[in-house]
Amino acid sequence: MIRFDHVSKTYPGGVEAVRDLSLEVPEGETLVLLGTSGSGKTTTMKMVNRLIEPTSGRIMIERTNIMDQDPIGLRRRIGYAIQHIGLFPHMTIAENIAVVPNLLQWSREQIAERVDGLLAMVGLEPEDFRERYPVQLSGGQRQRIGVARALAADPPIVLMDEPFGALDPITREELQNEFLALESEIRKTIIFVTHDVFEAAKMGDRIALLDAGRLQQLATPADLVESPANEFVDQFLGQHRFQLSLLTRRVRSVMPATRAVPARADSRPTLRATDTLIEALDAFKKTAASALPVHDRTGYLGDLTKRHLLTAITEVLGEAGGAP
Amino acid sequence: MNTVLSFFRKLGPEMLRRTYEHTFLVFLAMAIAAAIALPLGIYLARTRRRRVVSAVLGAVGVIQTVPSLALISFIVLLFALVALPTIGTLPALVALVLYALLPILRNTYTGIRQVDPSVVEVATGMGMKPIQVLFSVELPLSLPVIMAGIRISTVWTIGIATLCGLIGAGGLGNLILKGLRSIQMDYLVAGTVPAAVLAVTADWLLGRLERWLTPEGIRESHHSREEGE
Repeated sequence: MIRFDHVSKTYPGGVEAVRDLSLEVPEGETLVLLGTSGSGKTTTMKMVNRLIEPTSGRIMIERTNIMDQDPIGLRRRIGYAIQHIGLFPHMTIAENIAVVPNLLQWSREQIAERVDGLLAMVGLEPEDFRERYPVQLSGGQRQRIGVARALAADPPIVLMDEPFGALDPITREELQNEFLALESEIRKTIIFVTHDVFEAAKMGDRIALLDAGRLQQLATPADLVESPANEFVDQFLGQHRFQLSLLTRRVRSVMPATRAVPARADSRPTLRATDTLIEALDAFKKTAASALPVHDRTGYLGDLTKRHLLTAITEVLGEAGGAP
Repeated sequence: MNTVLSFFRKLGPEMLRRTYEHTFLVFLAMAIAAAIALPLGIYLARTRRRRVVSAVLGAVGVIQTVPSLALISFIVLLFALVALPTIGTLPALVALVLYALLPILRNTYTGIRQVDPSVVEVATGMGMKPIQVLFSVELPLSLPVIMAGIRISTVWTIGIATLCGLIGAGGLGNLILKGLRSIQMDYLVAGTVPAAVLAVTADWLLGRLERWLTPEGIRESHHSREEGE
């Protein structure tokens, strides 16, 4: 768990990058720091591994003030991934991934095994990629290596600074989806910085929306969209409100509140209760069926008809205040 | 054919000896200059004291503007004042080192400064100690620039070292001076051609060394390679 306790950062020259920030990131949560440039989101993230040190306030990791820890040791226990340039151009892919394990003096065999494991995990053939250099990779591949490198020493906490920025939209979405799938297996505490509301809504368990160094709202993506805390939040989401609602509203919320029954054999594609309305809409596009079965972890919840889905979406559109 | 033979019979042994002296002098001067300029350049690139940086770079730059003949003369006079030997290797070496400093110092400084700050930051953020950042990130990435400085400096020094013949430091300058004083073309040629060959060879060798030392991932050839998923 990471806890910010009345943390402020004032740069020499008087710029207040972060003002009196208090929040907690429970273990296993992905917290997105969202805001425009100058909002203090990157400063907030960099204070966790002491690349930037707070002017006042405390940051606790597992009940220890990070200022009482050796910064070198602290950083080796925190994964760190940044935008496209983050890979070391003079090192091979394997060497890049092995940076932290090397610093931690793992054995050669252990490192080789870990590198191959991580390459496979991010979907790159170890045989083919180990000895390549970053310039020989596409943007998306480099980004995958960046993620693999951040996870190399299996740190409990990972900091990600716009890790999927500077990618074309298709590749970005692909990487986001891969990372979500990956993340559900590895369960890390993640602090994820982005300026993109859609990325925030997609990646975050909760979103901390910052403006001019102040926390404006800390909420789940759905709560942020449905009940903005103040005018700033409202305006920030602005014209994206409709799309965001579809991205954050789950199929579960438009289903009648029934108990699940044991799943039965069904040839139709299945919707999950946790799917978003957008995902449900996509599923209907790919099938001729007019209704699809909805499942949750315990079983079958009922059928969602296309017509009901469209009605729900129209309601969302109404709530969001007009046309998209 | 006969003239060539008699040329070598007359001057061959001295040419060889002078070339050896010359190479030795240049090599020594370069080793000392690098030993000073590399750490100093690293320090300048990392210090936050901007004034120290501009003072040092400025001072070393000024030395470079003094004509080489004048610099050697100054050093001889200075040595005379403090009762150090005014002829021979020592004053020559001092002059050469002073000259050789600037390109190495400036390129080490710029080389390290041009390393992408975000790469340095990510290295730090991953838990490298400052010394590890220097040796595993900053120096490898600035190596081509630093090596270019050493190359330029070496080629210059080979040329300037011919002037050291004036103060009895030996080297190919001796042959050139002898040719000038006695108006004999063969001496002039015997001093000049090896100096030129030496400069070209040193440039080529250091170029090879640079290529060999440059990490594969940042070599030019890689950048032209096609990228693709």
